[in-house]
Amino acid sequence: MPSQLPTSPAAPPARAARRRTVEPFTVVSYLTVTLFALFCLVPLWMIVAGSFTDESVLSLRGYSLLPDPFSVDAYAQLFSGRAIGRAYLATLFITGVGTVLSVACTAGLAWVIARRLRPVSRPLTVFTYLPMLFSGGLVPIYLLVTQVLHLRDSWFAVILPHLMMPFLVFITVAFFQQIPTEIMESAHVDGAGELRIFFRIVLPLAKPILAVIALFYAVTYWNEWFMAILFISDPDKYPLQLLLQNLIANVTNATVLPGGSAPVVPVYQLRLALTVVTIGPIILAYPFAQRYFVKGLTLGATKG
Amino acid sequence: MSAPPPRRPPGGRLGRWALLLLAAPGVCYFAVFAYLPMAGLVVAFKDFNIREGIFGSPWNGLANFRYFFETGDAPRIVFNTLFLNGLFLAATLAWGLLLALMLNEIRLHLFKRVAQSVVFFPYFVSPIVISVMLQVLLAGVGGEGGALNDALSVLHLPEVSWYTEPGAWPWILTVVKVWQLGGYLSVIFLAAITAISPDVYEAGVIDGASRARMAFSITVPLLRPTAAVLLVLGIGRIFYGDFATIYAIVGDNGVLFSTTDVIDTYVFRALRSLGDFGTTAAVGLFQGLVGLVFVTAALIIQRRYARESSLL
Repeated sequence: MPSQLPTSPAAPPARAARRRTVEPFTVVSYLTVTLFALFCLVPLWMIVAGSFTDESVLSLRGYSLLPDPFSVDAYAQLFSGRAIGRAYLATLFITGVGTVLSVACTAGLAWVIARRLRPVSRPLTVFTYLPMLFSGGLVPIYLLVTQVLHLRDSWFAVILPHLMMPFLVFITVAFFQQIPTEIMESAHVDGAGELRIFFRIVLPLAKPILAVIALFYAVTYWNEWFMAILFISDPDKYPLQLLLQNLIANVTNATVLPGGSAPVVPVYQLRLALTVVTIGPIILAYPFAQRYFVKGLTLGATKG
Repeated sequence: MSAPPPRRPPGGRLGRWALLLLAAPGVCYFAVFAYLPMAGLVVAFKDFNIREGIFGSPWNGLANFRYFFETGDAPRIVFNTLFLNGLFLAATLAWGLLLALMLNEIRLHLFKRVAQSVVFFPYFVSPIVISVMLQVLLAGVGGEGGALNDALSVLHLPEVSWYTEPGAWPWILTVVKVWQLGGYLSVIFLAAITAISPDVYEAGVIDGASRARMAFSITVPLLRPTAAVLLVLGIGRIFYGDFATIYAIVGDNGVLFSTTDVIDTYVFRALRSLGDFGTTAAVGLFQGLVGLVFVTAALIIQRRYARESSLL
């Protein structure tokens, strides 16, 4: 803790000396963190580099860190077909609509729990908590979506099973409970109703936590493919992740993906290009979103 | 969730009803997607067919369960589930803690921020993308080579055909989990480290303890509650295999099932390829019940030992 160490010139010599010595653990830390950071990045970078490398070079020389010769064939092919546009639309719909619905439902329920109404809040807490302990598993959900709700091939089949995460409800509750009661009481005195208090006072105050849970939901929806693989069988409705999964699982699909006119389809390069296209938006949004995630995690780790 | 002093009850009866309106969508959601499926588990005791539906299909007692336990798959997938999840939990927690300690040593502000952003990023990478990544590293183009094998051949080591080598996969998957969750967990631990009062290090500084000594003798013991909570949460979920990642990576590659098939992947495959609802529901119910035992045990332990810093 350098902040604890004296920084003024008047500091005792022993301590001043300590400050300057470089300790082995510090060196090891810098090295290990750097190596692990590289370990986190390099595989992703190889995908990016590979997506710009000509397929023939890929199969001849294997993957490398620099694309040589540089080739955008895969991207050209990818965007020549309509599948990619449709898949993007599907993923945007699932992520956008899903996140809005999730945040609305989560905030509403969390507020009623946080409000600590005598006969309601406690049962609601248990009601929300139990699904974390026990779930019916895959089969009942499958039957519910396909036989009861008839949502096969609907994007809502991907959205609904993930609509609310109890964990995020409770993080939101913890935040709501920090809002001073006096604010609500004075609003009451001024004649504001419960709904008015929620929409006009609570929600604006809760923007930071709403951002956090929105981000958590959005990433979940963006990366979701499990529900998609179960419920979406119409290729026109495939979201990005499912399109990518199909391209991996079934190489012949690659011939369907681009316009279909190409004589030789660069399957591997195409696969990598589609991967880059799939994580692209996350990489772009990441610098802005990251601090909210850290905030949310910190809140989750210290509150409760 | 302790119960702090109750707030003053809100306005009139009407106001209260308006408030319930806010909770209604969430309540409906859990009723339909969490509680209704629990009732749907009766399928586990039925000879289910789609035409007659959940309630029309004839009962068949415990036949579905018997079938699952008699196929001989049960011990293998139960073992895999516990073994893999245990491995993941131990490795990710240990690495997350160590990484947090090391990140805490870093004083160059920009370096620290960049490093933290980088190691946190894999958390957002989808399982499918991870599987593409692994193919680049382990399989190469057309199943030949791969970056790791290229590296091995540079070192004059024999190449390995990873995708036909079941023994290696528990460890490969563990590395994947560490890659995916190491940074995420380090953020949680780092938050806990920041909350430690600088005073506790003063004695160490005066005694001339090394940074390493202070990290392992002062910081680590103070992080024990955080680690305990994460451990307990992990143990509570230990019976739920990490479906998405494992299935995305292994898929239907039967060669690797002996070491990678967990309950979730088993259920998923049985449902998709065989359409056997009865048995899969039975396996799901079995998983749910054993999972419940684990969660409950975990919660009881948590209540007893880590009351102060519970995540939930």
